[in-house]
Amino acid sequence: MKPLFTLALSLAVVGSAFGGTLKINGSTTVNLPVAEAAEILRAEQKMDIQVDTQGGSSGGISMLGDGQVQVGMISKRLSDDDRKKYPQVAFKETHIGEDAVALIVSKDVWDNGVHTLTKVQAKDIYEGKVTNWKELGGAKSQRIAFFNKEPGRGTWEVFVHWLYGSPKAAPQVSFPEVGGNEETRNKVASTRGALSQLSSSWADGKRVFALALVGNDGKPVEPTEANIATHQYPMSRPLFVLTNGEPAGEAKTLVEFLLGERGQELVKKHGYLPLKALKQ
Amino acid sequence: MTRAFSWLLSLGALAALALLLGVFAWQSGPVWQHEGAGYVTGGKWFFRQHEFGALPMICGSVVVALVALIMAAPLGLGAAVFIAEYLPRRSRLAVKMLVELLAGVPSVVYGLLGILLLRDWVYETFERFDPLSGDTLLTAGILLAVMVLPTVVTLADDALRAVPATQRRAARALGLTRAEAIWSVCLPQARRGIGAALLLSLGRALGETIAVFLVVGRQDNNLPVQLLGAGQTLTSKLGGSETNIAYGDPLHWGAMMGLGLLLLLLTGAVTLLGSLKGRRDA
Amino acid sequence: MRKARDLIFGTIAAVCAMAALAVLCGLVFVIARRGWPAMNVSFFTEQIRLVGASGGILWNLVGTVILLATAFLACTPFAIALALLERVWLRSHPARRWLRIALYTANGLPSIVFGIFGFIVFVQWCGWGKSWLAGGLVLAMSMLPTVTIVLIERIAAVPARYVEAAAGLGLRESQIVWAVLMRQSWGGLITGSLLGLARAAGETAPIMFTATIFAGATFPRAIAESPVLTLPYHIFILAQDSFDPAVGSKLWGTALVLLGLVFSLSLAALPSRLRIHEESNV
Repeated sequence: MKPLFTLALSLAVVGSAFGGTLKINGSTTVNLPVAEAAEILRAEQKMDIQVDTQGGSSGGISMLGDGQVQVGMISKRLSDDDRKKYPQVAFKETHIGEDAVALIVSKDVWDNGVHTLTKVQAKDIYEGKVTNWKELGGAKSQRIAFFNKEPGRGTWEVFVHWLYGSPKAAPQVSFPEVGGNEETRNKVASTRGALSQLSSSWADGKRVFALALVGNDGKPVEPTEANIATHQYPMSRPLFVLTNGEPAGEAKTLVEFLLGERGQELVKKHGYLPLKALKQ
Repeated sequence: MTRAFSWLLSLGALAALALLLGVFAWQSGPVWQHEGAGYVTGGKWFFRQHEFGALPMICGSVVVALVALIMAAPLGLGAAVFIAEYLPRRSRLAVKMLVELLAGVPSVVYGLLGILLLRDWVYETFERFDPLSGDTLLTAGILLAVMVLPTVVTLADDALRAVPATQRRAARALGLTRAEAIWSVCLPQARRGIGAALLLSLGRALGETIAVFLVVGRQDNNLPVQLLGAGQTLTSKLGGSETNIAYGDPLHWGAMMGLGLLLLLLTGAVTLLGSLKGRRDA
Repeated sequence: MRKARDLIFGTIAAVCAMAALAVLCGLVFVIARRGWPAMNVSFFTEQIRLVGASGGILWNLVGTVILLATAFLACTPFAIALALLERVWLRSHPARRWLRIALYTANGLPSIVFGIFGFIVFVQWCGWGKSWLAGGLVLAMSMLPTVTIVLIERIAAVPARYVEAAAGLGLRESQIVWAVLMRQSWGGLITGSLLGLARAAGETAPIMFTATIFAGATFPRAIAESPVLTLPYHIFILAQDSFDPAVGSKLWGTALVLLGLVFSLSLAALPSRLRIHEESNV
């Protein structure tokens, strides 16, 4: 066994000497513009870029922390806990666009007259105190089929952050879980009484509908571009690419591309707000 | 030379098998220390609070696999009887080839069919029982039933063909009809082999990951009391995002590896029983 | 009355067989119909574009072939060694029996545990990260029992008089092994490997933690940190994340290509496999 390990080790060393590959992992939400940017850089600059979405945002953080990738993609702010887990890593967030987590419902819920949700109502659903849309303003009785985003997803963290302040403070609950964005949209669209958290850019208004959230002032706020840009909408979230220290080398090329005009076009194309829209 | 190399490589392969079991046993150590036997009997799994009980997943795996077998067994046995006892040799071979070919449809393709077609079908068909969604233990069971069907058919066919032709001829000569000969001679004689076929299919169903992952609903802490509810299996948990999150936290990782160990023991036991039963010589 | 019962019994069996075949062929038909529109030359010669919505699956196909070739090469020496151990070198009956039982049991172990084992040993301990070699070795482990079992069956079928004749000519044991036993059994190795590869080609669970990523990998140039793209993982990811409806047809197209690959592998193996079946079960 031992010579095998030595062999493995020496091969690994030889392998890393080749280097030159930019590795990216993380959120499926951020993946869309980044993967397309990577396609362009691969074609135009002959860069070697590998993109994966294992484990969502938390996968991006942990693989960057372990040094397995050079760039992480995250759809939430980095928490103190994340930093504490990797004290030797100088995480640097680069803001590339803005998105929001929408609470989406299926068409029948929307047609039943539920268009808004307050924070208290959202908590009640999450804690299982409310299980029928009628209690939330629905015209007729209809069970709530809540799909929870699986742990580790940026979307889930933004959601519980809004409700409870931090993932740790969130109560212990068990709902059917969903992972990817299309899986979420597909399952909500095909289930009566369905509710889930999803990136607002995926809420197409045809198959799934984004609820307006009612703030403390009693006014419903929809996840529109204007409301996200001004952070009126409570679950607005930044999209980041994450590096260890200031981006350098190939990572720098990628980050600069994403911040440049064409990169920002890609951010916009996938339904997120480019940085320019935020400054207005 | 040849002999030495044979031994060396064989021992290497067997050592890898032992290492496999050892790694899961060793890496799951922390959770056994932390939870004790409660790991197997506990019903609550909240990894942020470091509370790990695997019972709902063990039950989920068993229930889903049994549902699959209950559906696949009658259909598969019937089909095997027809193929082995009624079809002439040439068409028997052709049909068997087709079935073995279909046994190779990859699980991710089944998963795709499940997520895009079957879950909607289950949701609509069982509407009067009011399932919360189409992601249910039953959906996973049906998908698995189709997946193990070819295995049931082809192994049961092998078992029936292993009954000597002289027995059949003797039964017919005694004036039994074909059905009677099959019922009272062939099936009893092939009992062991058929039992083995079912056990091996059960083992396959227990270990299936990707297809189950996509349709079972992945709801933790739910003992599988009703089939039209969402659930979690050992494999759907292992295939999910928690495996990524857990690495680096010895206790959480230990809990995930414990699931792997339980899965190994469960499928290993079922398969071992199946192989011992199936082959008198084995 | 007895006649009627005979008829009913036969009809039920026939209906079961029809239903089983209809279900299995039906799902192949569904995939073929949905995947067909994506088929054209550029689907095989281009890389993924627009996050799966455009372009082709060239590198996914290449990656899957790399994994299969690696698995085949890694598996072969071990399969030969184990088969020779069972057939030639082990003299005691109980030992041979236990070896066979171990092989049958290992054959039923779930592929996800091999994947996690590979993640711990290759990805973490060896520090390879996601690597084509890790994936190939994991797949080799999972297919080793199948290949060995088929090879053992084939060696067992070599007529004893060949061996006796060779021994009579004064050949040493290792010469007999290569000149007679293995010479007559290469077909079994190929058949077994094709069967194992057909299963390995569609596996997602063993490679998703060890070898494959979503986009950007091409031809691996090293061992460490050199992942590949694969067909099953592509389907698995796009089934959960496809923003653009245009992904749909590419997704089914990928499933169809994977199915075609798996079917070609098992079709190549089937004739000789069934011949063995027939010879052993007359």
